[in-house]
Amino acid sequence: MNDLMKHTVKAFSDELEKLSADVSVMGGLAENAVASAMQAVINRDAELAEQVIEADAEIDKMQREIEKQIIRLLALRQPMASDLRSVIAALKIVADLERTGDLAKSIARRTRVLIKSDPLPLTPAVERMGLLVQGHLHQVLDAYATGETASAVGVWERDEDVDEHYNALFRDVIAQMMEDPSVVGPGAHLLFVAKNLERIGDHATNIAEVIHYVVTGNELKGERPRGPRPELPE
Amino acid sequence: MRARRDPSDNWSKTPADRPRRRDIAISSGLGVLVLAVLLAAGTIDLAVFVGTSLALASLSLVYYLTALTTIEPEARPVERVTVQPADTAVAELMLERITVPILLIGPGGRIERANPAARAFLGLGGEGGLLSATLRQPRVLEAVSAALRGEKGRAVEYSTLAPIESHVRAFVEPIRLELPGPMPWRAMLVLADDTSSKRAERMRADFLANASHELRTPLASLSGFIETLRGPARDDEEARERFLSIMQVQTERMRRLIDDLLSLSRVEMNEHLPPSGAVDLCELARDVAGALGPVAASRSIGLSLDACEGEAIVHGDRDQLYEVVENLVENALKYSDDGGSVAISVRADLTRDAAEHSDERIAEGSGRLTLSAPPLSSEARYGVLRVRDCGQGIDRRYLPRLSERFFRVGGQKSSPTSGTGLGLAIVKHIVARHRGGFTVESAPGEGSVFSIFFPAVRKSATDGNEPVQRGATVS
Repeated sequence: MNDLMKHTVKAFSDELEKLSADVSVMGGLAENAVASAMQAVINRDAELAEQVIEADAEIDKMQREIEKQIIRLLALRQPMASDLRSVIAALKIVADLERTGDLAKSIARRTRVLIKSDPLPLTPAVERMGLLVQGHLHQVLDAYATGETASAVGVWERDEDVDEHYNALFRDVIAQMMEDPSVVGPGAHLLFVAKNLERIGDHATNIAEVIHYVVTGNELKGERPRGPRPELPE
Repeated sequence: MRARRDPSDNWSKTPADRPRRRDIAISSGLGVLVLAVLLAAGTIDLAVFVGTSLALASLSLVYYLTALTTIEPEARPVERVTVQPADTAVAELMLERITVPILLIGPGGRIERANPAARAFLGLGGEGGLLSATLRQPRVLEAVSAALRGEKGRAVEYSTLAPIESHVRAFVEPIRLELPGPMPWRAMLVLADDTSSKRAERMRADFLANASHELRTPLASLSGFIETLRGPARDDEEARERFLSIMQVQTERMRRLIDDLLSLSRVEMNEHLPPSGAVDLCELARDVAGALGPVAASRSIGLSLDACEGEAIVHGDRDQLYEVVENLVENALKYSDDGGSVAISVRADLTRDAAEHSDERIAEGSGRLTLSAPPLSSEARYGVLRVRDCGQGIDRRYLPRLSERFFRVGGQKSSPTSGTGLGLAIVKHIVARHRGGFTVESAPGEGSVFSIFFPAVRKSATDGNEPVQRGATVS
């Protein structure tokens, strides 16, 4: 994204480049947290879940560091126009990534409870939803590195699919709970996993909006397409 | 890298080390001069003067020769220059041609060099970017920065599961360059694609689990019938006949299941290898419609083909794409009522958004879902094939599970006539292998549309006219 920028002060360009690279690194950490948390849930791997929970501190630390960098940049360089946009974007994206990390941690926490009961038959559905959300996060972060708004907008438009998955899963889990009260406990935790994934998807769309704003200077117009809201099966 | 070191050698180190004839001559000359002064002052006599002068001359000669031979091995800049270009040129060429991605990372994590394989693998633009902007794997970045501090190299594994599954082993090795300056360390990063072996491992486990789980049901019923035939029904002619025909149906089902499982395994195994070849979707649609026409006619289902008159050429393996289209049309026929209708349509050169779903929904509030899709790209154009049926449709809550193995809508029991529940899973994997997409739109009571799309083969720039649509009813 910074290729086009030329500054008389080379240090400024370097700082901007480092900023976006650091945001990418933090994105990698968040992506990794989501992937590992899902792997922990699917493979019933308590150890991996613990690692995810511990690694969240790293993401928080990175957020603080990047925020410091941004404050320094704003104070010393007083960026204008597209530079200002990219600095503000970094600030927003970092906040979304931090929340993503927290949600991944929350997913990992559910593993402990989920492995106490038998595997639920709906785990593949959660896995599929996890893959979809991971794909969205990955493509949005790629778009951030390359500055390709088209794929960011593509992800933004496709958040509907995540909602569709969540809705279907919600109904299936509730239906199973009604059939067999013994799955109420693990089923509830599985629902929270799905809900967290759905929110991670929302953060990915937030990031997509920010990328669109950095590159074009305009906000993404219109209401984000929304899938159906979950409803209780009759 | 050695080429870069040479210039500094030539003008800073070598002159200081090389024995200078003039220096030796001057120092021995000075010695002789001192002796001559002493001779003139009468301190020593002529014989001593001549003797010491000779000794000095021979000493300086010996010194010159020794210095020449000891320093010689390092002071051969001329010869090294003649050898090196060939050396580095060959090394360069090997680096260019090797299919393994190799990168050299400089201070601050900046990519200093990347061979073409690495460029393609990471999608790099120009050189000089930061590694962390393209490869976001925390563990790889950590290993690289350790190597840049001069710590021992290591191997790390990383995987991305979506949008495209890949498993990679990354080897990081520190390299010390003899460069002036505080940062002599570079990190060499070698990436090895491990996807196929990881996939094969998982596939084997999945296959065993699936096979053992799904084959148990027909096996259990078979052994039940055998027991009955040996026991209570031993002399019952009528029951024996009936049981044997049920057993035949069950074994037939087992055979189909094994066939589908094997075919699924094969497709999955090669999923990461892009297919070679080109297929015309229009022609394919005509072939499938021709082949399944009699089936449709026997149930008086109208099978209509709305294919472009031109062609929709996509990258693909013809046999596999045939299987996909056949599968979708068979499904559409299966879920249509007698006397219903099934429509196949083909469109060429659509954008990703247009390829995923048609502009018009089949019904108000119909469910739409993408079951499998390639990474987003704004330039890609796709050839699209849609199969529409007017059957009972699918409730939207089942849409995400459609491509799940052994999933049957509405919990249809595995009756002998029903499918194996693997058909759409096979479709999904073939589509994923072709870097294409697979979507569904459905509304209960209205029917469903299954769409598949594949990357179009780029035609020359002269070809800009829209293909003419034509409707033709087969059967």
